[in-house]
Amino acid sequence: MVLTQEKTAALVQRVLRGEAPAFAELVRAYLRPAYSVALSILGRPADAEDVAQDSFMKAFASLESCHEPERFAAWFFQIVRNCARNLLDGRRLRDVAPDDGKILEFASPTSESAGMREALLTALAELDEQKREVVLLHDLENWTHAEIARALNISEVHSRQHLFRARQILRAKLDGHATEPSEESHV
Amino acid sequence: MSDESTPRPIDFSELDPSRNELRWARSIDRLASRGFAERRKRISVEHQLLSWARPVLAVAAALCVMVWTAGYLVSARRTAMVSAPTTAPALQIATWAANNKMPETDDLAGTLGGNP
Repeated sequence: MVLTQEKTAALVQRVLRGEAPAFAELVRAYLRPAYSVALSILGRPADAEDVAQDSFMKAFASLESCHEPERFAAWFFQIVRNCARNLLDGRRLRDVAPDDGKILEFASPTSESAGMREALLTALAELDEQKREVVLLHDLENWTHAEIARALNISEVHSRQHLFRARQILRAKLDGHATEPSEESHV
Repeated sequence: MSDESTPRPIDFSELDPSRNELRWARSIDRLASRGFAERRKRISVEHQLLSWARPVLAVAAALCVMVWTAGYLVSARRTAMVSAPTTAPALQIATWAANNKMPETDDLAGTLGGNP
């Protein structure tokens, strides 16, 4: 569910007024995109889910500092990125192996796992962070280039270029895996 | 970069966190409830602080005014006492005059504040 800027701004105002249903609506609209942004940095779905949820709590706590509610996505994604990078720094400091040994980090994309999930993560590791954000927001969240451009503070042209290049790289990496979506989305 | 040349979309459904719909719905509900509760608590604390802050500030302001007024009055009284002309030399001279006594030069100078 992608919300327009106006609807997002109205939701943010309702959350600021403390209207309970607005909290769930905002979470429903932005938890998955937040997961995509976190995943593009962390490379571990479980960690990305945790970061997306923590980021929401931080966002709720400091919502007054979102001075342009219609640009909530850009403001919120910056919180997500900060949380993800903090987690990544902590992970590097601790120098621990992935918790379940199956999910890969982007930093070590040398998997020979046959699983589609692992193959996708390994292929995503070949992209830079912004391309990962664009391709995940577009192909996983079905956001348009206009929506992606606004949320990531890039131009629509850049968004298209990133998507084009990301898909090229992913297709080359995933050759042989079934990665065609059942329902093709528009570009 | 025409549509024909654009590589086809990638199927990321394996990475979709909402594949397990029940678990995802629960996550959303839990997160929304936590967010709402935290925010309400925060708003409540801020409201309490504000409701306490107003009377406390009013009392503090009243105390400041009282202390300043008292200080001003004490200071004004001290100034008045210091600057008030003393009547002692006049009395002394009047006493000498009444007794028809001519004071010594040293006494006169001492009474009028000069060096004898």
